[in-house]
Amino acid sequence: MQKYSVFSLIKNAFSDHMNWEVAWKDPTPKKEYDVIIIGGGGHGLATAYYLAKEHKITNVAIIEKGWIGGGNVGRNTTIIRSNFMFDANGRFNEFGMDLWRNLSQELNFNVMFSPRGIINLAHSDAQMNAYARRGNSMRLNGIDAVLLGREEVKKHIPMADFSDDVRFPIFGGLMQPSAGTARHDAVAWGYARQADSMGVDIIQHCEVEGFNVSNGKITGVRTSKGEIKAKKVGLCVAGSTNILAEKLNMTLPIETHCLQACVSEPVKPLLDGVVTFGAGHFYISQSDKGEMVMGGDLDGYNSYAQRGNLPTIQHVLTGGLALFPFLSRLKMLRTWGGIMDMSMDGSPIIDKTHIDGLYLNCGWCYGGFKSTPVSGWTFAHTIAQDKPHELNSELSLNRFSTGYLLDEKGIGTKTWIG
Amino acid sequence: MSQAYRIKDKGYINRKKLINFKFNGKNYTGFEGDTLASALLANGIHLIGRSFKYHRPRGFFAAGVDEPNAKLQVLLNGHSEPNVNATEIELVEGISATSQNCWPSVKFDIGAINNLLNKFFPAGFYYKTFMWPKSFWYRIYEPFIRKAAGLGVASIEKDKERYEHKFEYCDLLVTGSGPAGLSSAYAAAKSGAKVILAEDKHRFGGSLLTDDVSIDNLSGKDWADKIISELKEMPNVTIKNRSQVFGYYDHNMLVMFERVGDHLEKKSKFTPRQRLWYIRCKEVILSTGSIERPIVFGNNDTPGVMLASGAKEYMKVYGVLVGTKPLIFTNNDSAYETAIEFKNNGVDPLVIDSREEQNSELVNEAKNKGIKIKFNHAVIKANGYKKVNSALIGELNENKSEYKNTNIVECDCICVSGFWTPSVHLASQSGNKLKFKKEIDAFIPDKSKQNEVTVGAANGDFTLGSTLNAGFKAGTAASKKINNKEIDIQVPNVNEKNHKAHDKFWCSPLPKNIKAKRFVDFQNDVSVTDIEIALREGYRSIEHVKRYTTLGMATDQGRTSNLNGLQLVSNIENKIVPEVGHTTFRPPFTPVTIGTIVGREVGKHFMPTRLTPMHEWHEKNNAIFVDAGAWKRPRYYKIGNETMLEAAKREAKNVREKVGICDVTTLGKIDVKGPDAAEFLNRVYTNAWMKLPVGKARYGVMLREDGMVMDDGTTTRISENHYHMTTTTAQAANVLSHLEYYLQIVWPDLNVNVVSTTEQWAGAALAGPKSREVLAKLFPNIDVSNETLPFMGYKEADLFGVPAKIFRISFSGELAYEINVQSDHGMFMWEKMMEIGKEFGIQPYGTEALSTLRIEMGHVAGPELDGRTIPYDVSLDGMVSKKKDFIGKRSLTKSAFTQSDRQKIVGLIPTDRKTSIPEGSHLVEDKNAKLPNPKLGHVSSSCWSVENNNPFSLAILKNGKNMIGKKLFAVSPLKNKSIEVEVISSHYVDHEGKRVRS
Amino acid sequence: MLYIKCPFCGMRSQNEFAYGGDASVKRPELNKEISNNEWDDFVYNRKSLRGKHIELWHHVSGCRQWFKVQRDTATHEIFKTAKMDEQI
Repeated sequence: MQKYSVFSLIKNAFSDHMNWEVAWKDPTPKKEYDVIIIGGGGHGLATAYYLAKEHKITNVAIIEKGWIGGGNVGRNTTIIRSNFMFDANGRFNEFGMDLWRNLSQELNFNVMFSPRGIINLAHSDAQMNAYARRGNSMRLNGIDAVLLGREEVKKHIPMADFSDDVRFPIFGGLMQPSAGTARHDAVAWGYARQADSMGVDIIQHCEVEGFNVSNGKITGVRTSKGEIKAKKVGLCVAGSTNILAEKLNMTLPIETHCLQACVSEPVKPLLDGVVTFGAGHFYISQSDKGEMVMGGDLDGYNSYAQRGNLPTIQHVLTGGLALFPFLSRLKMLRTWGGIMDMSMDGSPIIDKTHIDGLYLNCGWCYGGFKSTPVSGWTFAHTIAQDKPHELNSELSLNRFSTGYLLDEKGIGTKTWIG
Repeated sequence: MSQAYRIKDKGYINRKKLINFKFNGKNYTGFEGDTLASALLANGIHLIGRSFKYHRPRGFFAAGVDEPNAKLQVLLNGHSEPNVNATEIELVEGISATSQNCWPSVKFDIGAINNLLNKFFPAGFYYKTFMWPKSFWYRIYEPFIRKAAGLGVASIEKDKERYEHKFEYCDLLVTGSGPAGLSSAYAAAKSGAKVILAEDKHRFGGSLLTDDVSIDNLSGKDWADKIISELKEMPNVTIKNRSQVFGYYDHNMLVMFERVGDHLEKKSKFTPRQRLWYIRCKEVILSTGSIERPIVFGNNDTPGVMLASGAKEYMKVYGVLVGTKPLIFTNNDSAYETAIEFKNNGVDPLVIDSREEQNSELVNEAKNKGIKIKFNHAVIKANGYKKVNSALIGELNENKSEYKNTNIVECDCICVSGFWTPSVHLASQSGNKLKFKKEIDAFIPDKSKQNEVTVGAANGDFTLGSTLNAGFKAGTAASKKINNKEIDIQVPNVNEKNHKAHDKFWCSPLPKNIKAKRFVDFQNDVSVTDIEIALREGYRSIEHVKRYTTLGMATDQGRTSNLNGLQLVSNIENKIVPEVGHTTFRPPFTPVTIGTIVGREVGKHFMPTRLTPMHEWHEKNNAIFVDAGAWKRPRYYKIGNETMLEAAKREAKNVREKVGICDVTTLGKIDVKGPDAAEFLNRVYTNAWMKLPVGKARYGVMLREDGMVMDDGTTTRISENHYHMTTTTAQAANVLSHLEYYLQIVWPDLNVNVVSTTEQWAGAALAGPKSREVLAKLFPNIDVSNETLPFMGYKEADLFGVPAKIFRISFSGELAYEINVQSDHGMFMWEKMMEIGKEFGIQPYGTEALSTLRIEMGHVAGPELDGRTIPYDVSLDGMVSKKKDFIGKRSLTKSAFTQSDRQKIVGLIPTDRKTSIPEGSHLVEDKNAKLPNPKLGHVSSSCWSVENNNPFSLAILKNGKNMIGKKLFAVSPLKNKSIEVEVISSHYVDHEGKRVRS
Repeated sequence: MLYIKCPFCGMRSQNEFAYGGDASVKRPELNKEISNNEWDDFVYNRKSLRGKHIELWHHVSGCRQWFKVQRDTATHEIFKTAKMDEQI
């Protein structure tokens, strides 16, 4: 595989960029694979990459109904963090942070991971206490966290509304300095390129129509490009989880909802890190291009449409203006929606299933992007070893029957209430 | 000379009114009716800004929303705004505009060094480099890139302008006032339908303002004016200019923003700057017209290169010549109108037509006027850096892949036309899947998903006659659907010149020896080479091409670049355009100010503020308030220089020793009525309710179905079938919905009704050992003794003429009462209680003291009931009935919930009896253990116990009460604290509960 | 913004309503012996259909009645609404 570097860039410039190799091939599916990963999103591509790299399983196909990276990995707000209260979530994602820190070099593809920090703002003492509980839990797990007072917050975001004309003044915030953002598309492409180079077949525009199961064991999938045999199959389809589960006669603790996000027109750098508003549903960061990237609430009813409605955007931006009044004069450039696999406790599921050789990776709610590397890493392990890694052992499917729930927000099963 | 490029007596501007403005620090003039763009062009200004990536000089390319380059930083009314489209903003006195993305000036921009190095910055170059050394990305490279990017500068001033929302319903919304929009609105309005006609520009008429046509012997503009004035007279029609319909959402909800204030010189304080319209309509006619498509050629981004339609609009509407030595480069007939218009204004154009010799009506007219035309020719590249000064043209070979010969022609502008692209954005947003129309090489709407129909150029219909026909038909059909009226409208006579087919020529090939960038997307600097590289590297899906090259992702959203990009991809991939497909259109159609989307809910109006009837009293008595949801509650009442802790201690102590009064109006109150009310409560709460007598209250806990505690509160049986339920302040709304869910859906057989009475009652808690004495004086006519009004008793009585309810309930753990009166009498009650309580030492207490009192009593509240605790976790075991079923009971058997060492509530005191334990600390055995340090639990609530005069906390701890007596560390790494604590009972004061019963 | 017909009040905009999830989920009867799986199906497991979906809505800023809506989760088209005791 061609190595990317400033030198290769210069060299190729002199041959008018005519000699770049394809980043990934466009193969026709083989008859049989050791492992088929359904879903060519970030998690699926990462899973295939780590199967090949960590477990030397290279007879792998990724089957994607559209184009790779076209789902949530290509439509999220690029936030990367591990600021969780529960040990299972915190340690899982902190392992992921380590993967992020080396990802550009490992993939030889600049994913532009920037540890610009994330601040969750608090607007009451009660909220400060809840954040302290979370932050202390992070610290005891070895994750960086800082509790900021009002004045310290002001140093980070002086353009926030610190005047008297606010409904909910800023009391302080919880900051994870090592959190940040990355270039979302690059993550998908970087994994795809490396997976492809190790022999993984990336098969786009191939829709799964059904599964072949015999004697409780998976034997293959039926697709729009024909039947493909497989010893093992991993489901990595986020918002389409319920659709495939139905084909398997499974009912999961997952509901599908639409989450919108929007960007403003690009402006010169103003905001360095990620900020979340604590008195409403709103978060914001500024992309390298200068766009303010903003999001917040779900649209609030089951949806598979990658399009939302304006009241949600209005609601989210209302929170935005309450926090940053200067946003008023900026223009909203683009809105879009993504389909979220909302689990009933807000935490993901990476596990085996009752069908031998069938593995499940879902329930990412609106936070799948940040976990892309660790999700792929642990899912690859779960598939290769036929048992969960310690890191994802608590992200089990049966926690809903046992009661060992991971409810970070304490809101229970009404997934549509953020 | 000022406005040297203004044509005498042309255009629709008001020459009587001169307007002064500034651009890059220099003073200029224009006229009323100008846009900033037309005024600058009138002054001969073409160089307007620098491009995003290569900092190449850029000029005006269009005259409307399709403009990719002319984004300026504009100072108006004391407010600076970035990325303002100069072709859309109307010229008003005092505007000051500056170029963006250049330093030190637009004429000399250091960043232009990027242009020299452009070879090294192909599509996606940043994915391939900036990776070594590892830490440099964030520290060195990225900050540099961030500074370079970003177009304009956002002001961080608070926006003082006002933005409003309007909700409107209509039968028919027509978007765009060109021939299609006017005819359809007119036809529908004539039959009486309620019509809204929206026009983005400030002039109505669309293409009728510039096209060389006549309707019923009137010029296009005159006919448009006539229709508009007729429509304005009709009471069933609303017509709005300066109004852009930008979003088409579900169930025929369209959203429009109206520019109300910016063009006005004087406006009242209440004039909004912009207004957002939510329009729900029965039918929609999309008459959004079309946008001219460019032809791609070398250096086609040089200032002076412009769409032919733009040049024509500047001449016809604004009376401005964009050049005096124009080159018209076209693949179709429509650009000949621009050529003829130049000629009519005394300027000789040269037409470069990629087609073979043509003899259409329009071409012949041009020929007759003596306009020079070169058929079978193409512009290869423009010359000139900050302005076009000549062009390299060439004669095309048979298959138009190479040139037979080339030569240079002098020119000062190149007006380019590559035929027309229908504006299908709104149709696409509505869910309409588009289809490719071969005859026009562009996408048009296919089958409607909602009640919409697209008419005219937006539907790929580029002749006026058939557009008007279709418009009248669509208007009539819509009104027939709406009110079943069909009127006969005479379609007017149209005089227009017919056009011959366009040529499928959108990208001039570059001869081998010519090096020049050919731009597809101007704003994002995406060139033909970039698209070729993307495809070569396997980014073959159109979405991959778009994301890898950033084609079409700039603020103009690819209005002039998408189709040319698609065409290039399909040429290279040997596919036809519809196979390549198109990227998705998403709202908004044009960028919309965030202030407009938010409207009036800014500042303190972010959320409604709920105040209790006693709020004014609290204010007068130095209450410091705390937000409790939407409510404001007194947190403490400050005396002198007291700190919050001192005040809270004083207030709490006063309750423990004498008597205090607390505003509890914010608690949720729900009336539960009906013969099955007891049965219902018995199912909702975990404890038994069937035997509660009239006149008695009971504490209840309710769960969610997953077993978690949802809320707690007391419910009182007022009469046989009437219960008064209270909830926490936070959960009031959720509990009501929860009760309604079960009554209406799960147990509709139960004859019970619930209604919120939170707002109806003002409540005051009277707590402390002397509270009975105060009560006796408040209600001299009733017996308030422990025997007749015992703990959990209830009485109705008369409070100096005001009917009141007395509940003997206690959250503080003291002898206490809650008194409710109708909200109107709340202040009367409060003042009466203060007055009568005075001799007993009554003091008001706020939520801080309230917390102290409940914490040291071990009463749980929000921090313990955090949606993750079951009743057994918080010492409510006694509240859980073993006999009956209730909501959530089945979940309590889950193995995690019955596990013996589950985390449960305990009390904590610091072993030094001095150091307060911060809330949110975690409990560990070894404070110095290596990370991850296993956590045994966390500190949920802390207070300074006024009873024992030392800190006390509640905690949720693994193995719960079994840990009593153990010593642990409460650690808060965030605050750098670790405190040795002793685990004790959560009931720190009066654990037998004697006081409440005293 | 969805336009929903409350069976009691008529057509109203979505912002008057609160969503209530899948209407086909039935709460097990009180006091009935059921398996853990049956209980979990009620509390946690959802089909979350793509296409026609019968769901609950609550007219919170109106008549405060819960009712059923048949809606396409892929297009958001609403086919029918009905009172709780009516069939869809």
